[in-house]
Amino acid sequence: MKNVLVFAEHRQGKTRKVTFELASEARRIADELGGKACAVVLGNGAGQLAQELQAYPLDAVYVNEDPAVDEYLLDPIVDYLESAAKTVGPSLILIPNTLSGRDVAGRLMVRLGAGIVADVVEVSVEAGAVVCVSPKLGGALVTHCALQPAVYGIVTIRPSAFGAARGGAGASVATLEKSSKSYAAAIEQDVEEGATEMALEEAPAVVAGGRGLGGPEPFDTLLKPLATALGGAVGASRAAADAGWVPYNLQIGQTGKTVTPKLYIAVGISGAIQHKVGMRASGTIVAINKDAAAPIAEFSDLLVVGDAFRIVPELTNLIEKAKGNVS
Amino acid sequence: MKIVVTVKLVPDPNAEKRIDAQTKRLVRSGVETVLNPYDEYALEAALQLKERAGGDSRVTVFSMSPEPLRETLRKALAMGADDAVLLADSGLEGSDVWATAYAIAAALRKLEFDLLIVGGLTDDSSTGAVPGALAEHLGLPCVTNARKIEITDGGLQVERETDVGYQTVRAPRPALLTTALTFGEPRYASLKGIMGAKKKTIAATTLGDLALELPVGTAGSKTELRSFAPPPPRSQGRTVEAADGAAGAHAIFAFLQEKKLV
Repeated sequence: MKNVLVFAEHRQGKTRKVTFELASEARRIADELGGKACAVVLGNGAGQLAQELQAYPLDAVYVNEDPAVDEYLLDPIVDYLESAAKTVGPSLILIPNTLSGRDVAGRLMVRLGAGIVADVVEVSVEAGAVVCVSPKLGGALVTHCALQPAVYGIVTIRPSAFGAARGGAGASVATLEKSSKSYAAAIEQDVEEGATEMALEEAPAVVAGGRGLGGPEPFDTLLKPLATALGGAVGASRAAADAGWVPYNLQIGQTGKTVTPKLYIAVGISGAIQHKVGMRASGTIVAINKDAAAPIAEFSDLLVVGDAFRIVPELTNLIEKAKGNVS
Repeated sequence: MKIVVTVKLVPDPNAEKRIDAQTKRLVRSGVETVLNPYDEYALEAALQLKERAGGDSRVTVFSMSPEPLRETLRKALAMGADDAVLLADSGLEGSDVWATAYAIAAALRKLEFDLLIVGGLTDDSSTGAVPGALAEHLGLPCVTNARKIEITDGGLQVERETDVGYQTVRAPRPALLTTALTFGEPRYASLKGIMGAKKKTIAATTLGDLALELPVGTAGSKTELRSFAPPPPRSQGRTVEAADGAAGAHAIFAFLQEKKLV
């Protein structure tokens, strides 16, 4: 492991913020290891994303716009990443800890005979060894795990764990040789539904609602304006998702998403352990609840006891005013 | 239709977690263990498919553990699985993701199946890398996060959840699937199921039966656990009683200003 290789995940050229975070972190780690920092961009829109990555401190970007990447479920991506890893040579491979990233990482692990550390929030190089910090059991425990010295190692990185820093002289762009394999799992339909404009895991602020909201409407009328004012996204507790008030892709918690925004506002969420494990690592936690004894009090920086239906609109207004949007 | 489901026993997510200072591993004894929640959904999917396919369809549950933890399998059998295979061997102790996937794959190679259904994540380690690794080891198509599964002639039609919506994916059988939590609530074991589970077969295997080429356990792992500890505690927060909406909003706004968040 000498070089660092980033899997630049995107959707039809629409980049995920985590890609730039990984590109910036790759440079730092590569400098410590004394190697190169590279990225792999695949599929429709890859060329454009490769251009965007030129603004980040990478040495090389490997590209292929092979349409098979978007026609088959991850199989071509795994092939191209394997081929890029072999082109770059001994390397640490950084993959975003997302739905697709986890699948890709597990498969690449077998292809490359690599060790893997998952859901990492901190990477350091100690006496030549790559050491990773990752929260386990929903953040109840934190592990330090070292990759054994080997040709390849894989780390999946939690989105928003690192900042993205531009810089560098502009990476060289090289085309990866087209894969000639045939693939098994064909994507017939790819539909966007109930998608927030911003991926929940990547939002700097999350406004989440729970049972206390009493129905689906307040997610749009109450929480959405506040989230928009904060430049963030709306999330939900399991109770709200189970009740069918919001789609499951907004659920935060043990059986949903794990988020670590700078600001987390929990509205009408009691704070069951199931929810806590998905958001406890957030920077600042504010709760609005009717019940002063709700468990969320134990892990909030500020708990306001009161009526969310009155507080949230006033708060949204104050924030918009501060931004100069309303008088 | 032959379906294999992998299941894991994990510490009760509601229990306090303790670390053994010497082994730096989670103390599992004395902590109640439950079926990994994601695996319950995988099993539910398998049971629904079995019911739909009918005939001589079978669901086999597979589990791997350093200790012979038969309760996991009894619970799965009580839910409706037909039989179980348990790979229990103290030599598995300390296996990381690489060694775990390698050992499970070797054991699964001995089983015949049309579908292998795996929980999407494990509640205690949340690596999420095992399903992809198993597919790769076994040379199977890999379709994760399924919320709807249709068996077609020779293949599968799967609706899977993505970060932004869903995809429909066509794949041949045999294949590996993981299930989304929207697949449907796992059923409860009926009393009849619980009684019946006692008579079902749990076939035990050990590492010796698998004749592995590579080591597993700590020796076969490609990562080294250096420490395992609770995170630093959060400092005590404040509580403000809001007389009305404006008071509450001002309290939060002032706090956000103080934290430089607005």
